Amino acid sequence: MSRRTKLKVKLGLLNLFFVVACSLCLIPILYTLSVSLSGTNNILSGSFSFIPKTFTLDNYKAVLFNEPYLLWLKNTLILVSATVTLSLAVAIPAAYAFSRFRFIGRKTILYILILLNAFPSILSMFAIYRILMPIKLVNSYLGLILIYVGTMAIFGLWNMKGYFDTIPIEIEEAGKIDGANDFQLVTKLILPLAKPSIIVTAVMIIIFVWNEYIFAVTFMTGAQKYTLAAGLYALQATQYTRNWPVFSAASLLTAIPILIIFLMIQRNMVSGLTAGGVKG
Amino acid sequence: MKKMLSVLLIAALCLSVVAGCGKTNGENQDVTVDSEDESASGNTAQEVQEPTNIIIWYETQEAIAQELQKELDKLAPEIIVSVERKDKLTEALKLVGNDPSSAPDMYFFAHDKIGIYAEMGILSPITNFIPASTFDDFIPMTVDAATYKEQIYQLPIYFESLLFMYNKELMQEVPTTTDELLLYMEANTIDGNYGFVEQHSTAYFSVGWIHAYDGFIINDKAQPGLDRQETKDAIKYHKQFVNYMPIDGDYNTMTTLFKEGRAHSTIGGPWLIPDLVENGIDIGIAPMPIVNATSKAISPFAGIQGICVLKEAENKKEAVTKVLEQLSKPDIGINLAKTIGSAPVNNKCYDDDAVKNNEIVMTLKEASATAVPMPNVPEMDVMWAITENLLSSVNKGDKDPVIASDEAQKKALEQIEAMK
Amino acid sequence: MKKRGYKKFIPYIYSLPGLIFIGLMIVFPILYTGYISLTNMNVYHWFDFHIIGFQNYKKALFVLDTGFLAAFGRTIVWTAVNMMLQMIIAFLIASLLNVEGLKLKGVYKTILMFPWAMPGYISILLWRMGMFNTEFGLLNNWLNRLGFSDVHWLNSDHIAFGSSVVVNLWLALPFMIMIIDGALQSIDKTYYESATIEGAGYFVQVRQITLPLLKPIIAPAVIITMFTTFKQFDIIYLLTQQQGSKTGADIHTVITYTYEKAFVTNNYGYSSAISIIIFMILIIFSLAIRGGKKGGDVDE
Repeated sequence: MSRRTKLKVKLGLLNLFFVVACSLCLIPILYTLSVSLSGTNNILSGSFSFIPKTFTLDNYKAVLFNEPYLLWLKNTLILVSATVTLSLAVAIPAAYAFSRFRFIGRKTILYILILLNAFPSILSMFAIYRILMPIKLVNSYLGLILIYVGTMAIFGLWNMKGYFDTIPIEIEEAGKIDGANDFQLVTKLILPLAKPSIIVTAVMIIIFVWNEYIFAVTFMTGAQKYTLAAGLYALQATQYTRNWPVFSAASLLTAIPILIIFLMIQRNMVSGLTAGGVKG
Repeated sequence: MKKMLSVLLIAALCLSVVAGCGKTNGENQDVTVDSEDESASGNTAQEVQEPTNIIIWYETQEAIAQELQKELDKLAPEIIVSVERKDKLTEALKLVGNDPSSAPDMYFFAHDKIGIYAEMGILSPITNFIPASTFDDFIPMTVDAATYKEQIYQLPIYFESLLFMYNKELMQEVPTTTDELLLYMEANTIDGNYGFVEQHSTAYFSVGWIHAYDGFIINDKAQPGLDRQETKDAIKYHKQFVNYMPIDGDYNTMTTLFKEGRAHSTIGGPWLIPDLVENGIDIGIAPMPIVNATSKAISPFAGIQGICVLKEAENKKEAVTKVLEQLSKPDIGINLAKTIGSAPVNNKCYDDDAVKNNEIVMTLKEASATAVPMPNVPEMDVMWAITENLLSSVNKGDKDPVIASDEAQKKALEQIEAMK
Repeated sequence: MKKRGYKKFIPYIYSLPGLIFIGLMIVFPILYTGYISLTNMNVYHWFDFHIIGFQNYKKALFVLDTGFLAAFGRTIVWTAVNMMLQMIIAFLIASLLNVEGLKLKGVYKTILMFPWAMPGYISILLWRMGMFNTEFGLLNNWLNRLGFSDVHWLNSDHIAFGSSVVVNLWLALPFMIMIIDGALQSIDKTYYESATIEGAGYFVQVRQITLPLLKPIIAPAVIITMFTTFKQFDIIYLLTQQQGSKTGADIHTVITYTYEKAFVTNNYGYSSAISIIIFMILIIFSLAIRGGKKGGDVDE
């Protein structure tokens, strides 16, 4: 009796803790939500209450229909899918190589890759422009994709290498005995096992591309080509005509798709990030 | 997971199809960019048979861009102008300034950046395209603003400056001098209500006070004036006013206070007015208070918005000239005055009735006699942060104005040195 | 014989595409910045610059004045405080998330990820306008209702520092929580079972089993986060230093300080030199820490 109630109490307290934690975490979001649902253009107000005085969904309608939100969404989805696919295609073989083979420079390169993150990249714009200009990729999605893949490659490599490290080599050796060549080894044995890690890496890349606005704004011209993050930047850049409720609505609409993806992926993220249930 | 993946993939595929249609539009744009160079060289050979494409970048309100586009559509079909939005315009120009395939032909922006771009060598003087006599009808201050090192780099279209606004319901008698204003603030600032608010610690706003004392942030010889006695006096005097304002002197706080009727008066730009009208404020506009000590009115910065031409566009000389000629006519000035209440630079515009009856525009025109254009020298770029640090430390940090100004001047000279 | 020769190159071939991308997008900018730092690229010589040797570095050394040293010290404190808080809080939350029987775990995790789902600068803007604003912000609103007077969240150095830490935690915790959560799940439960059988209490288990097993797994992410925190520009800048709305607090970190002192001069040669110097300092720093930690658990 006492053990069960003890468990119940423990779980009850735990749930309470998380409800509080989540609420705290969500306060700025709820504030944004409230502003986005209000009819008056005030991000600040002397008489603020969480339930807005003039409740309206007009702002959301304005975002979805007046602003090219759907266009931005489409652009972002294109960029995201392309970046994730290309990043994984590039990082998985590299991670496999670093995990399974021992070759000269392996440890050094790995270490250097981490150190590269120490560089304050505020000035990288010029260098990247120098690369994109001769190949005429300045105002194009392909250029952006290349930039994103380059940025994410390090993280992808490290992440997946860590996961591959925990997959016992015996499995591959068994596969080799059965006559599989390298390609089959990877696709039929390793990848399915590494699924959680791949998904997590993919999610991280999605979030990065989704929220990235600096490169998008610098290298893209024309509102037609904007991604969600760039479009949001344009919305708030004209400071003096900023329409706060519309901006808040747009911000929230930008966040929702990511959360949906995240929620759906939950199940597959078990032991996703690093070592994983590959026992005996 | 597999199901979701397939759903995602299918969705992505469908969208890519849609994107395909979108991309062809984008590709068309790229095609036109290439054909620019072709038709440019073809221009001189065959008299404007092929349309020339001109690209103009902007980063301002959509309403203004639309007016520009409308005005320049009149040049079709020989010249096709596309007015494109480019965020972070100033940074982008630094990046692509001399690259014909990514740079625009012209851009629409405030005048204060022409010094930097002229030094970088990416601008072409306007007088290469239109005669200097075009500017005869323009308000002289605006032409000065557009001039850097004796060359005119910008075709001014409209200018903006700050106005003294007050809530007619709350303020019955408008103070004409700053001492009166201070007394008013003392009497009326209680319980979260303020007699007067402004963005007290931003350079753009406080410079009005500095100018009234004959001080300056930087002059056209690129010499900073932060440690001049006049500037110090202005800052010291201004601090008394800050004591009656909220410590957070930022745009949103100040405008919200005024919008909600918790501030009786403010100094702000004409862009505020539509918002205020929506909130039901009975707005009054008055001339800037005069500083008793110097008998000069508060003279804020004026920003002159206009078109500049990039060097790369010199090979489209005819088209550019036509665009500039079109924009130097009074039409665009009048239309902009009607749509957003900005003050045109062309004196001819003021013959129009709609303009004459616009109180705000006329007040701005009067203010143009005393307004000081923002300095357009490259060195001004470093002065913004330094001046604001100076103001913050005095207004919010209670630092002694004399010491702070001397330090700021030293920093300014260091940074100007560092620019070389 | 041929096969063995070919096999030697396989790892290089596999990693080549990845390394090419990294080389182009990450390594090249560093090299290019190094090149520019040796030139006189500035407003007066924007496109026609030429090499001037180490003059920019000489100039940069003057930037390393008391202001810079103060900023550097502050940045170290900033990084240390943030990392400690992040690790502790993330570990706590991740451990609690993994308690048996927590049915709503997925929901909680998703909600806690929210800060991550919006572009950073938007969140920072919202924090600055909606929460910290002295007149109208939510925090002061509540304080007033409870009878307290306004707090100036961003105007004085120490409080502004605290506010920035809060915002940084809000933005960075989701990532850490995810990392530690994943790592925790990978630890074999049987270790805990045998430990409990042998009578080890909770804290002993954490110290002897969880932490040592976690370390190698989360090490790369922690190091990357440390660098990111050190380089954090947006938060400090947008909260307190943005042109047009400076708050009067001076909580410059290395990167905001050099931004204001060097990058605004549009002197790219000079700014590049400073970037390289900061980069070098950071590398030396991390090498020193690694040397002190004995044993490269990073690249196993």
